[in-house]
Amino acid sequence: MNRILSVIFILGLLFIPINIQAEEIAENQAEPTVEEKQILPYNYLSTLSIPIKLTITEPYSTKEPLNEGSTLNFRVLENVYYNGKLIVKKGDEISGKLETNITAGMNGFPAEIVLDDFDIPKIKTSQLQSAYVKKGTNRCFWVYPLKWALTPIPFVGSLTNLIKGGHAQIKTSDVITIYYYPEWY
Amino acid sequence: MKKFLLISFLLLCANFAYATNVLEEQNLIQTRIDKVGTDLLNYNKIPKRIVFTYTPQTKKSLLSTDKALTKRQIIVYDGLYQHLQTDDELAAMLAREISTAVKSYSGVWGGTLDSVQVALGSKKFEVVADKRAVDYMVNAGYSPLALIVFINKTYPQKRFDRFSRHNLTSKRLAKIYEYITYKYPQYLTDEKYLNNEYYQNFLLNSVENRKLLEEKIRTKSTKDVDYE
Repeated sequence: MNRILSVIFILGLLFIPINIQAEEIAENQAEPTVEEKQILPYNYLSTLSIPIKLTITEPYSTKEPLNEGSTLNFRVLENVYYNGKLIVKKGDEISGKLETNITAGMNGFPAEIVLDDFDIPKIKTSQLQSAYVKKGTNRCFWVYPLKWALTPIPFVGSLTNLIKGGHAQIKTSDVITIYYYPEWY
Repeated sequence: MKKFLLISFLLLCANFAYATNVLEEQNLIQTRIDKVGTDLLNYNKIPKRIVFTYTPQTKKSLLSTDKALTKRQIIVYDGLYQHLQTDDELAAMLAREISTAVKSYSGVWGGTLDSVQVALGSKKFEVVADKRAVDYMVNAGYSPLALIVFINKTYPQKRFDRFSRHNLTSKRLAKIYEYITYKYPQYLTDEKYLNNEYYQNFLLNSVENRKLLEEKIRTKSTKDVDYE
């Protein structure tokens, strides 16, 4: 008798979680399936893109870095049309942000400048694919083989740590191309 | 024999119930990670494939390769996930890894060289990843202060960092705070975070570093501050 009772007790304990789950599943199934219409704040269906060519008004280099988040000015190089309408006029000045400065590093790692957040009248930020990266001279290509060649001589291989990569600079002659997706929102 | 069969049957039932529970729990976590991660990718218009994987394991070795660099797969380990209390904090964790994965796509040889640079110059790129994470979070509508909260309560503080592959956590936090101060100052007065005990703890343990930043702002300097 005791055995039967103990088996019933154990079975009861075991089936409680299963029953709870079964109830949850049943509840979920019983709920009326009202599908919520979710509208995302973006839509990347369109592949139509229009390049916008810019040039910086004042040269910028990581030799004399500005604080990240500083505003830089750019000039539009060509008229930009969409559906026959002039969207951006050649010669217009627009602003963009200095997103990140990456300093040059040991073993020939180059410095980098990341620009983004361009502010163009008549164009929403969500319609721009505008991250622009400019790197300095990458010396890793020859520094690493040199390092490995010198490694058999004790401590000499480490000397290549002293070789730094090149500074990144954006000259007024550099053409910066960002892309306008007029059908994105 | 009957007893043995009965016990085996009971154990099987118990095992089934437990496994179902664990799977459902893991599925919920994975769904949450996918949702926040994909939001970050979409709002930031990152045109590269990056996937997110939750694993109940803990990170095994420091020497294991970073899958964000090699496979563009962001692994969320259970040990770290336990620290994430809000979606903002989860976004902070994922945004850092996304930044690393995005970097692995740029440059020659399919991004191999840049990945090597990130792996070798980890101290420098650690700060870069933190800064990019702040941008990604803001663009996706998350508060960047959550990155400070996440790092403040997750990463321990070593004594020195001169010979380490990583920066002192206090330095990282100070640099993130500086970045937010210059780029997104509106978030610094966010009531939600001013009433967050973890953020207040950061404010408390960063007084000296914040004084250095105030001095930089006062003198309008553009030089890097040597944070402690």
